[in-house]
Amino acid sequence: MLRDITLGQYYPVDSPVHRLDPRVKILLTMAFIVCVFLVGSPLGYVPIVAYLALASHLARLPYKMMLKALRPLRILLVFTFVLNLFFGTGQTELIRVGFIRITQEGLLNAVHFSLRLIFLVTGSSILTLTTAPVTLTDGLERLASPLKIIRFPAHEMAMMMTIALRFIPTLAEEADKIMKAQSARGADFTTGSLRQRARALIPLLVPLFVSAFRRAGDLAMAMESRCYRGGEGRTRLNVLRIRRGDWLAMGSMVLLFAVVLLMKRYV
Amino acid sequence: MPITLEKVSHTYQAGSPFQATALHEIDLTIEDGELLALIGHTGSGKSTLAQHLNGLLQPTSGRVLLDGQDINRKDHNKRALRFQVGLVFQYPEYQLFEETVAKDIGFGPRNMGLSQQEVDDRVREAMDMLGLPYDEIAEKSPFELSGGQMRRVALAGVLAMRPRVLVLDEPTAGLDPRARDFLLNDVSRLHAGGTTVVMISHSMDDVARLATRVAVLAKGSLNMVGTPREVFSQVERLGAMGLDVPQASKLRWMLAKEGLALPECYLLDDLADALAAALKGGAPDAP
Repeated sequence: MLRDITLGQYYPVDSPVHRLDPRVKILLTMAFIVCVFLVGSPLGYVPIVAYLALASHLARLPYKMMLKALRPLRILLVFTFVLNLFFGTGQTELIRVGFIRITQEGLLNAVHFSLRLIFLVTGSSILTLTTAPVTLTDGLERLASPLKIIRFPAHEMAMMMTIALRFIPTLAEEADKIMKAQSARGADFTTGSLRQRARALIPLLVPLFVSAFRRAGDLAMAMESRCYRGGEGRTRLNVLRIRRGDWLAMGSMVLLFAVVLLMKRYV
Repeated sequence: MPITLEKVSHTYQAGSPFQATALHEIDLTIEDGELLALIGHTGSGKSTLAQHLNGLLQPTSGRVLLDGQDINRKDHNKRALRFQVGLVFQYPEYQLFEETVAKDIGFGPRNMGLSQQEVDDRVREAMDMLGLPYDEIAEKSPFELSGGQMRRVALAGVLAMRPRVLVLDEPTAGLDPRARDFLLNDVSRLHAGGTTVVMISHSMDDVARLATRVAVLAKGSLNMVGTPREVFSQVERLGAMGLDVPQASKLRWMLAKEGLALPECYLLDDLADALAAALKGGAPDAP
């Protein structure tokens, strides 16, 4: 029943993009987003498309996976397109049927904003597709660690995220088991009024919470018995290092910026 | 009310990259009144098979028949089926949730739509059957009990539905020897009282003590079915699957390798008798 929960959308293959330092990947994604916003006309997206195609090719990601990232967005995309198309304010009229009026500027805007959305999402999906959740939190922790000066608990936040991510599948499995066990005693989770169904959740939630607290206690004990005392002075097994590939990736982003800015000016 | 499995296969997450075949074309009939033990290595599909018996899981292909009726047909009443085939999961004490023991045991009967009086009667009956003192613990929170008692409360919660078939998934896992003994006696008594029992177990000695028939699962396929005597005589074949045999079978097999042949037996008492007889008779190869 709940077995099909997949966590995040990490696509586990080995590639130069997968091996990049997570910090670099996070920063590059941010830079990419800025880049997409800098583009001024539909034609300006050509280098963006080229960059995305290159990145996904290097990351050995199937196009299907990237398109999947767009699915939750499809309604928003249609809205963006339609609103811009019909309510454009330009002068050059293309079609006029009754009060419906489509202008050239409207059409261009519709395409422009839709493309912007599409590239924002596919671009950031490359980050989540190629970075395991735990690596991602690791990268976030390191990026946020300068904030420790203003007492931002970067390490604790990252540890909490890691633990939460680690236990989602465990709890899902547990919930599945309890649900089945109560169904075996005739519990009915799927029919009845809203009130009845809410009540039917009690036999699921009580044991689930009890076991979550037990697991939390066990985990705290296990961490303490290995002398965990927070991030202070803690060293790591896998030290993040900027390598040649990371420099190359950063270089490619600078190049993208340059091309986008040049095109904005001269095309 | 026999349960028949016809070429039952089950694949988890079929069609995804994580697809895994848990059962492969199982043909098996569970006869009335028998105590069938399901044994097999971890991941051999025992629990998956158990969940097919009351329709919690549906076969990817094949059919499960109860009294000749396909239980997965749309018009078959799934809930009624679950009251007839009671399934007790592994570590069932983690499924307790009510404020009192009596209420928790009454959960199944309440779902059956019985009157409060009938529910109370059944709670008492189930607790009596398992030797749980009603007056002492019925109004206690189930979370105050010991592990062994919690397990029996969970078992009582299924028994209170008066199932005709009882399916137990590793009922003694994690219990201390005393609690284990109690529980096995309970199972034995239920079986003697006419309930059909299907028991998954890792303990071959438990199986030897209780089972009337043994089915061996290996990698999702039915490898052997037979009486305990037939199955446990295959020491080497079971060993190749990473399975143990009862201590008596093992000892008999080791003695046979040393040249002392004894008649088939899998219970320690029987082995002792056989050994005594062989030694008294002055078997030529005896040490």
